[in-house]
Amino acid sequence: MAATLTPGTLKGVKPATATRPVEKRWERLAPYGYVAPFYVLFLVFGLFPLLFTFYVALFDWNPIGDKTFVGLANFQQLAADPRFWNALKNTFSIWIISTAPQLLIALVLAQVLNSALLRFATFFRMAMLLPYITSVAATAIVFAQLFNRDFGLLNWVIGGLGFQHVDFMSTPLAATSSSRPWSSGAGSGTTRCSTSPRCRPSRATSTRRPPWTERAGQAVLPHHAALAAAGHRLHRHHVDHRRAADLHRTLLLSNGTLTCGTARQCQTLSLFLYEQGFGSFKFGYGSAIGVALFAIIVVVAFINFLLSSRLGKKG
Amino acid sequence: MTVKLTEVGNAQETAQGLTTALAGGKVPDLVLIQAGDLPKFMKNPGNFTDLATLGADQVEDDYVDWVMAQATAKSGEIVGIPTDVGGMGVAYRTDLFAAAGLPTNRDEVSALWPTWEEFIATGQRYTQASGNAFIDNAATTVFLQAVSQGTEQYYSADGEVVYDTNPVVKDSFDLGLKAIAAGITAKLESFSDGWNAGMAKGTFAAVAAPSWMLGSIRSAAPETEGKWDIATIPGGSGNWGGSYLAIPARAANPKAAWAYISKMQSPEQQLQHFIESGSLPTTPVNYDKPELVDHTDPFFSGAPTGKIFTQAVLGLKPFLNGEYNTEISTELLNALNGVEGDGAPAAAAWDTAVKGIKTAIGA
Repeated sequence: MAATLTPGTLKGVKPATATRPVEKRWERLAPYGYVAPFYVLFLVFGLFPLLFTFYVALFDWNPIGDKTFVGLANFQQLAADPRFWNALKNTFSIWIISTAPQLLIALVLAQVLNSALLRFATFFRMAMLLPYITSVAATAIVFAQLFNRDFGLLNWVIGGLGFQHVDFMSTPLAATSSSRPWSSGAGSGTTRCSTSPRCRPSRATSTRRPPWTERAGQAVLPHHAALAAAGHRLHRHHVDHRRAADLHRTLLLSNGTLTCGTARQCQTLSLFLYEQGFGSFKFGYGSAIGVALFAIIVVVAFINFLLSSRLGKKG
Repeated sequence: MTVKLTEVGNAQETAQGLTTALAGGKVPDLVLIQAGDLPKFMKNPGNFTDLATLGADQVEDDYVDWVMAQATAKSGEIVGIPTDVGGMGVAYRTDLFAAAGLPTNRDEVSALWPTWEEFIATGQRYTQASGNAFIDNAATTVFLQAVSQGTEQYYSADGEVVYDTNPVVKDSFDLGLKAIAAGITAKLESFSDGWNAGMAKGTFAAVAAPSWMLGSIRSAAPETEGKWDIATIPGGSGNWGGSYLAIPARAANPKAAWAYISKMQSPEQQLQHFIESGSLPTTPVNYDKPELVDHTDPFFSGAPTGKIFTQAVLGLKPFLNGEYNTEISTELLNALNGVEGDGAPAAAAWDTAVKGIKTAIGA
């Protein structure tokens, strides 16, 4: 296909431009007009806020009070803030725990869905898409009820079988699962933490966790995996979307408390940013967290780029 | 005069919406601020119209002194007029109390717990007899109520941060730890899903209930109608919540807004609100009106709710809140919930909370 479009194949054909009438000025400008909306919107809602964040990060900035220039003091405070390192750790563990199994399972599911032996293939393929269009909030609420310690459906079954109720909130992976970015709305463990903010990862309880809980409610989209594999994962909009969903979800899960867990067990960087900026009105400090997050994303995206371009060459 | 009402969302969203508006957006003529968010806004009273300039100084004595004091800036500006308060009581299940051999009459029950120690001891009696938890959780039902009874809480009268040296805070925290150690709590954080379900299923028999929580109990557990009653809170007085009406400094029609406030929040109107919706007046002149004193609630076994809750409000003394009230109480509540729910060591809980507060507010 691609070969037909190369200049070589056009040899001998009369260049199209030769017969084209001279473009009027507005015609030459028109394409810019067509693409302008994106750039204008990006400037207003993307670039400007981004740059302004860097600016605000240099201030002790109360949105309805004093704004004092403090230089790099916010970043010094950030480096010494245990809450920041805790949130960073949580964010990365969510990323790892969600990405690895998701890709593996998605590949298997994609194979199955593509198999000629599969009956009702359309039904199953459509079923896979369902979580994608379900609102994050609705999924969070449903899973919150499934995994509730005292009155959850799962514990009702466990109790019915004669076992002690499992406190999913205090199990190790719960913290990360609470806000892990499974494909939008897939829910999975998202809400294991949701009914209560207790999601401390503790080694002592790790063995108590039934293995199947990890898979419960998990619906992985092959489509999504393909996207990820193609290196689109860190595509800006994707990241934005995930950050928003992550924040929304963690907020829902943590019972409205911005610390997400009594010891910030499931607080991610974006939630920490939100807590400082919009809970405590510390816009300067919140912006400093945003800048740190930006730097981290740039580094990870760069590594991802290196890896995927190397993989691409090999293929 | 036409009033356009906009509901922003929950308390947190409302406070954020207001912050955004004050920071440079379009401001409404009138805003409602929850008592818990007020300290943050009081730090910069210049964002609001000083209601004294519109005539609030003439009527400020109509309102409960300590409630009014919360909305009066250090420099004297009156930022808001209180619309309602959250007087405290203890809502308890008479059927569960009876089954555990405890009295059920509200006066006898109140007599069981003049102090928090006796409240915890009653809880132990209940838990021993029934095998079930007595209260929902220690953080809000014990600690938060006990600390709110202090005449000085997280800030001293002259605005210094004193949570770490004020014995009221430490003693209240220790009461919370004691309730957890006594094993009388259901480990259900307030307003969580499990908490609502627990209310309906009788997982706990008593809960610290401000006046506005009666509605939550009613809707969370409609089938328990008539099985609840209300006793006085240990220590006799307490408040949780409440709201204020304020006028942003850049409001287009401050005079009309004030006309609305002064009319709708007059003592007569507040009594009317109580009769219609149960919102507890902030005007003490109403506290012995028969309409309020004789008001009973069938859902709570005919308890005289107006009388019980207003008595709790009158017992409080003016105290000072500060900019970081929320941050301080969040860390303290988290430390207690950590011990209760996650099994964090009780001995380290206070230090954990103090360390967390110092990180959060730098003091």
